[in-house]
Amino acid sequence: MNMNAWLRVAIVLLFVVAMGVGAGCAKKKAVSTPDGAQGTSMEQEQGQGQGQGVAMTAESKMATAQALEQAKGVISRNKIYFDFDKFDLKPEARGALKAKAVLLKKYPNVRILIEGHCDDRGTEEYNLALGERRARAAYEFLVLLGVRASQLEMVSYGEEYPADPANNEAAWAKNRRDEFKLIP
Amino acid sequence: MSFVFAACLALVVLFSAQTLRADETVLIDIYGPGQSKLNVALARPLASNGNLGGNATTVVVTDANATDTVVHVIAPADDDMSQVVPPEAGTLQKLISDNLSYLPFISLVPGAEILGGDSPGGYSSPHVDFRRFQLSGVDMLLTTGWPQPVDKGGYTVEIRAYEVFSGRLIIGKAYHDVTAKQLPDVADKFCGALMEELTGRGEFFRSTLAFVQRDKKGADKHIWTMHPMGRRLTQVTTLKGMSLSPVWSNDGRYILFTHLGSRYHSLGVWDRTTGEVHTVKYPGNTIIGPAFTPENKVAVSLASGGNPDIYLLNHSFRKEKVLVQNWAIDVSPSFDRQGRSMVFVSTRLGNPHIFLKDLETGAVRRVTYEGTYNTDPSISPDGELVVFSRLTRAGHRIFVHDLVTGKERQISFGPGNDEQPAFAPDGYFVAFSSNRSGKYRMYLTTRHGDSPRMLDTGEGEAFFPAWGLVPDGK
Repeated sequence: MNMNAWLRVAIVLLFVVAMGVGAGCAKKKAVSTPDGAQGTSMEQEQGQGQGQGVAMTAESKMATAQALEQAKGVISRNKIYFDFDKFDLKPEARGALKAKAVLLKKYPNVRILIEGHCDDRGTEEYNLALGERRARAAYEFLVLLGVRASQLEMVSYGEEYPADPANNEAAWAKNRRDEFKLIP
Repeated sequence: MSFVFAACLALVVLFSAQTLRADETVLIDIYGPGQSKLNVALARPLASNGNLGGNATTVVVTDANATDTVVHVIAPADDDMSQVVPPEAGTLQKLISDNLSYLPFISLVPGAEILGGDSPGGYSSPHVDFRRFQLSGVDMLLTTGWPQPVDKGGYTVEIRAYEVFSGRLIIGKAYHDVTAKQLPDVADKFCGALMEELTGRGEFFRSTLAFVQRDKKGADKHIWTMHPMGRRLTQVTTLKGMSLSPVWSNDGRYILFTHLGSRYHSLGVWDRTTGEVHTVKYPGNTIIGPAFTPENKVAVSLASGGNPDIYLLNHSFRKEKVLVQNWAIDVSPSFDRQGRSMVFVSTRLGNPHIFLKDLETGAVRRVTYEGTYNTDPSISPDGELVVFSRLTRAGHRIFVHDLVTGKERQISFGPGNDEQPAFAPDGYFVAFSSNRSGKYRMYLTTRHGDSPRMLDTGEGEAFFPAWGLVPDGK
């Protein structure tokens, strides 16, 4: 082996060592920067014994389920509202949909029905069409934000199911809405 | 008034000599402006054609279905022909009177206002004494005869309408083997024939209305049918959810409607011959306002393409072709009898307005320019008028737009909201829904805006009147 050959072997060894150090750092980083409840449970499992690990898994499952329920609540609870004879999304509606989109992407098994509703000042057939446009506006915005279309269904109920049956502006404003129902 | 009637008759004779025979008998132009009213009297029903004069006989008639006891004074008759009319005579008299009260161009003259009483002397000419009716301002006299003896199968009833001034028989009909249950049919058939003789159109009394009624719990809406006069009120669907926008097929066999279920829209199909309901779903999950074309095909708004457009379906309810498609909302198609024109609602210019598509050329033109919210169009069978609902400051009101002249006229005035106008097959009557009484009910007016009359649809709120011609009215 001449001098050049020894130099090549040394460079290869140095590269292998460097790769090993790099891989170790990456693994450590993955464990130490958890993203959400699952990451936290992995870190705890690695630091605990076998028996305690099973107990924590049940606990973590419960936490996971609670987090899912909370997410479902956020997804389904917050309605969005529209102006009379309009179906464009207002800034507050976009904000609510963005929050839903984050959770829907995080829980891809959650599916929702977007219901479009109208107040009863219009006429019924036209309101069915307007309700469709309102539901579709939310649907398309969620898809643009990255939510899978397979997670979404939509239906228009027109003016058939008012949130508030009163006949005044406050009630009408509540009735011009999209509702988000979880699909079992 | 007699003069007006006689003048109408004279004009018809003078100016229609070259027209078809059927036109010669048309005495009232229900489509023209400035209708005058025809004074009509219903003579007491008689059991025989008797002599004039003599003593009258009073008979109390109690009808099981009527709330009031009807008192009839039977005309004097020959001794050998003296008979008492059956109780059914009073019932039929009331049914005919009720039917005629729906016709805005008829004014019923009470029997008490006839000089010398409302006995005609006989139920057919020459036994009828027209003079007293003429002096009482009656233009047209209806006589009802119940010849005796009665056949085993039921009564024979003869009903005639006379022009009082001349004594001319306008129309005469005899109905055999009539039972008490058939009396509404007899009244409807005669009134339909009479209206047809007077105006050229008699569909009103042969029509069956489909409509939507909210159930007692207020949770669901179902499809019902009934005669315009409130008879034969029948619930035909029981689907959970909202059944809306019924429409009759041209042959009177099917009612199509939109059904809103818990997650899906579907096109509902009720078959009159079986009583069964089938539902059809479509991609896009939006189905709005079906309508039948004259070829008995279905046009309906579907959102398969991303927003509600109007499609024509084939006889298997599959999409055949697009009738209206653009980025906007397009709903509520309505076709004239010839299939030349379709009116619909579109938001292509921002607000909902009425548009018309010429189905021969494909050209689309805007119909309404006033207001910012014009919906629920219904085109007259002759394709000359469109009735629609316009949102005004006072609420929705019904307007008529003349497609020939472009002129518009308001024909309903609330209060509340007047919506969903629908032209009857005769192009004269218009049914619509209104919450003027606090709850949504159905009302009847005409293309001229005659005083609306509430239709008896039962307890629940009623919407979406749709006219149909059902064979035998059943």
